[in-house]
Amino acid sequence: MSTDVKELQELIDRERVAEEKIKKAKQEAQVIVKQAHEKAETILGSIDSDPRWEELKRARTDEITHKKAEMEEEYKRKISVLEKSAQENFSKAVDRLYQQTLRGKL
Amino acid sequence: MSLQKLTAEIEKKAEDEASRIIEIARQEAQKIVAEANVRAASLKDERARTVERELGARERAELAIARMEGKGGLLRVRSEWAKRVVEEVEKRIAKMAENGGHEYNELLCDLIIEGITAMNGAKFVVEATSRDSRAISNDLGTLAERAGKIKNGRVSLQTKTLNTKTLGGVVVSTEDRVQYFNNTLEARLSAASRNLEGVISKILFGANQKNE
Repeated sequence: MSTDVKELQELIDRERVAEEKIKKAKQEAQVIVKQAHEKAETILGSIDSDPRWEELKRARTDEITHKKAEMEEEYKRKISVLEKSAQENFSKAVDRLYQQTLRGKL
Repeated sequence: MSLQKLTAEIEKKAEDEASRIIEIARQEAQKIVAEANVRAASLKDERARTVERELGARERAELAIARMEGKGGLLRVRSEWAKRVVEEVEKRIAKMAENGGHEYNELLCDLIIEGITAMNGAKFVVEATSRDSRAISNDLGTLAERAGKIKNGRVSLQTKTLNTKTLGGVVVSTEDRVQYFNNTLEARLSAASRNLEGVISKILFGANQKNE
């Protein structure tokens, strides 16, 4: 083989190696982009399974239960005040209605 | 150009191209992840608003039901006590009518006069229980005189026994039965309870009813 042909062959080999290098870079690039897409899917997919929603629901449910209990207590207290007042004033109310029934202009 | 320089050039260009491809891929990957993060943040905000809206609606509904039940409880208490007052008055009236006596007879006379005054005419029928009818018969003359003064003329009265059961009191009607005045004690109690509903409530609960 003459020197020129040998050099040419070497050039062709180098060129092939370079192409191979670029091909590998492209493959690696595809992997990088694919991994990014997978990561994006994971990020978006994790929203529904985020335990914070359950924590938020539980916290708000507890808050609602607490407010309801407070309200029920408040009404119980009001009922108790009404009962006490009615017991104290019962005979006055009876007298008033009795008098009105017998003597009042109806 | 020498072979050595040429091969070095080929290698450098390949190296540069490979680096450029990887760099573009890395930038693309960063962009994809960044966009996903932005979208995720937006979805989380939206989800948080949805969850809060749902829980807010649930809270309003549950508290509204609790408030309604509470107010229902207060109303029940008020209504029960008002009923007890009426029942107690009914007992007292029944006892008073049953015992009879001067005070009750006076009351019967007043009830008859009230009925006569409320109607036109000069001839009236007074219906009462057989017990009360007997008592009224004894005062018929005085009653006719009182009624005559009010009507500015002669008034005639007759008594009859009521067919229906009553605690006491009278039903006064014109002789032709066109007009009548129900002055039985039940009718009076019923009217008084209706008319005094607010007053009785005020007496029983006073200022407390404002705090409901």
